[in-house]
Amino acid sequence: MTEPVTTPADVIREAGALRRSLEAGFREEVVSSIYGEVERVSRRAVNDQGSRTLELDQQIDRIVTSRLFGLPLMLLILAVVFWLTIVGANVPSAMLASALFAVEDWAAAWFTSRGSPDWLTGFLWHGVFRGLAWVVSVMLPPMAIFFPLFTILEDLGYLPRVAFNLDYLFKRAGAHGKQALSMTMGFGCNAAGVIATRVIDSPRERLVAILTNNFVPCNGRFPTLIMLATVFVAAAFPPAVASFVAAGSVVAIVVLGVIFTLGVSWVLSRTILRGEASAFTLELPPYRRPGILRILYTSIIDRTLFVLWRAIQTAAPAGAVIWLLANISVGGTNLATHVSSALNPLGRAIGLDGVILLTYIIAIPANEIVVPTMLMIYMAQGMMTELESLDALRRLLVDQHGWTMLTAVNLMLFSLLHNPCATTIITIYKETLSGKWAAIGALLPLALAFGVTFLTATVARWLF
Amino acid sequence: MAIAILLSLVAFAVLLPTYGVAAQWRVYRSGLARERTENALKHLLRQATDGHSASFRSLKGELGLSDRELLSLAERLELEGLIHSDGTHLKLTTDGERLALHVLRAHRLWEVYLAEELGVPVDRVHAQAERQEHRLNPQQLDRLSAAMGHPDIDPHGDPIPGPDGVVPEAPGTVLSAWPLSTPARIVHLEDEPPLAFAQLIAEGLKLGQVVRVIERTPSRLVLSDGENEFRLAPMLAANVHVVAASSEPARALDGVLPLSDLPSGAAADIVALDPHLKGFARRRLLDLGFTPGARVRSELQPFSGDPRAYRLRGTTIALRREQSDRVLVRALQPERSR
Repeated sequence: MTEPVTTPADVIREAGALRRSLEAGFREEVVSSIYGEVERVSRRAVNDQGSRTLELDQQIDRIVTSRLFGLPLMLLILAVVFWLTIVGANVPSAMLASALFAVEDWAAAWFTSRGSPDWLTGFLWHGVFRGLAWVVSVMLPPMAIFFPLFTILEDLGYLPRVAFNLDYLFKRAGAHGKQALSMTMGFGCNAAGVIATRVIDSPRERLVAILTNNFVPCNGRFPTLIMLATVFVAAAFPPAVASFVAAGSVVAIVVLGVIFTLGVSWVLSRTILRGEASAFTLELPPYRRPGILRILYTSIIDRTLFVLWRAIQTAAPAGAVIWLLANISVGGTNLATHVSSALNPLGRAIGLDGVILLTYIIAIPANEIVVPTMLMIYMAQGMMTELESLDALRRLLVDQHGWTMLTAVNLMLFSLLHNPCATTIITIYKETLSGKWAAIGALLPLALAFGVTFLTATVARWLF
Repeated sequence: MAIAILLSLVAFAVLLPTYGVAAQWRVYRSGLARERTENALKHLLRQATDGHSASFRSLKGELGLSDRELLSLAERLELEGLIHSDGTHLKLTTDGERLALHVLRAHRLWEVYLAEELGVPVDRVHAQAERQEHRLNPQQLDRLSAAMGHPDIDPHGDPIPGPDGVVPEAPGTVLSAWPLSTPARIVHLEDEPPLAFAQLIAEGLKLGQVVRVIERTPSRLVLSDGENEFRLAPMLAANVHVVAASSEPARALDGVLPLSDLPSGAAADIVALDPHLKGFARRRLLDLGFTPGARVRSELQPFSGDPRAYRLRGTTIALRREQSDRVLVRALQPERSR
């Protein structure tokens, strides 16, 4: 007596035959029965404590997404975050800078006393180390304030509401509502923003989000914007309100960046990334009391130190390059001057100058070093510099190097729109695994930056 | 010296294996040859299915080749044992038919993938599938088919051949021959020629739609799905196939409305998901818990009016109008809603 043998192949064949007899709706039945089981289990195990928090949540939601308060509240929160970052970062930034520069002086002196040659001391301490010191002192305090604030908003559950509020704009641009999330992440770091686009499940809309992430200024670019806002805009106001005006003009630039994000998304959705806005589903989680310890941990370890570490990795070689450019002379003038005068005509055409363009070439690895590099070349002093006061800075730029309001405005625009830093480009490559998209991600903003600044420069010259 | 360097650079760029110009050119040529072969076989298969016989002339019209290219192509196909010719007529051999069915399967599976997983509009999938169909081997097709749950029909309703090369029978009667005022479900919209198909889509006809023919004259045919009327030229009606529909569409049932029309604050029970919603988008809604029978309440409306947030199974979920349109619900009476 032999049992009929059933082989795996038989089972598969049987399943294949039965599959055809399935009703079209069997997926619904499977999912429904899973949910039914889940509900049965949760009814038995979970004790519902009434719905007071739910009602509170609903009331908050109604205010946060309301016609009257929705948008103003968003802008206000954004302004407060920037204001706290600007005001709070000033003092620790100065303290860090003086401490690190003291280390530099001390170490350079020690090197010299041990008889090391000038070029070695200069290269290591005034080049590489000074580059590092700048980045750490300029970036660490604002990041240590900005990222925890950002994480608090995230933890509260406010960011999904922002995405909810802004979705209609992104939908019209042919993009995904969750692009608002990766965009806000970009304020911290564009590379992190590009990674954050993973929450978008449609490939087309994810690419749109990746390519436009650069249009919100990251932490590394805020120092430039803040400097310009303080020196050129806020200087016209009494000191009591200056910090508010500075924060306000930074918010204005940010809003402009959002407008560019939407505009470029719109154009991309109608040209190289043609397609309709796809499915959008977003869970609005209940509001939660933020866990302070967890926030400190995630924002300091995961974000601040991570971003700082990669900034250090790029700033050290950039510092070396700056030192070399400023200290190698050909025919009596240093390389930096040679290159910047070659770039000058192009720079003038877009309302900037050769030094600024050279700065942006040197600063491709890390946007944080834009301001110090620029000042260093202007002062032809041979190393990155910090000026004593904002007044001295204003005198240097306006009186000695012919800066005008146009230069300041165009530099702000250029800083907002220009190509992303090397880390972001590499991240785009890693996320898309395509050299083509990485190249577009780098060149599209660059072309836009040149186009827009050329336009404003031409219009300004024509008007005045 | 400079010239020598330049020359060696150019030589390098041309001869580099895989990335060099020469290697890329070879890849391009072999891809083109495969594409031509497969398009020729596909044409022969279509002619055979339609009961016509294929000839050099029809093949030439289909592929748009010069006489010389066509002759060398036919020679190569015959040499490879894919076709045989008796002077004027061309026929597929068994091997040729197997390969042609593979291409047909690839084409239709690609169409399903593009339409249902990537959300490409249904009038654009054909052109894209024409390019993609030459890129997969049978094993890859099996995996694609399995990943989508072995679909039986493509987005136009054409049957998809199985891995064994068996083409399921296409059901349905042509709409022009359907009796008046008998409910019919659309099972096939012919996608060739593309212009006629685009017109059918523009009229608003969809696969799975239940319609009745309410008027037929020599110059036109009028359909109704209970809400809208569709006017078709008799030529277009010949491109639509239908079967007898067992029931009226769910939307026409009493008190059923799309979730997007549910007033703010009102509660409802989900009746069904729109059958036209397929693939990824449908799975996403199901995964979120939008299953038939679930209780849902319209909760939040932002200043823009869209998207809206719905309370479902203890969570709040925002949907754009395009999604909430696809969830059919029956509103509860206010006193029962909470």
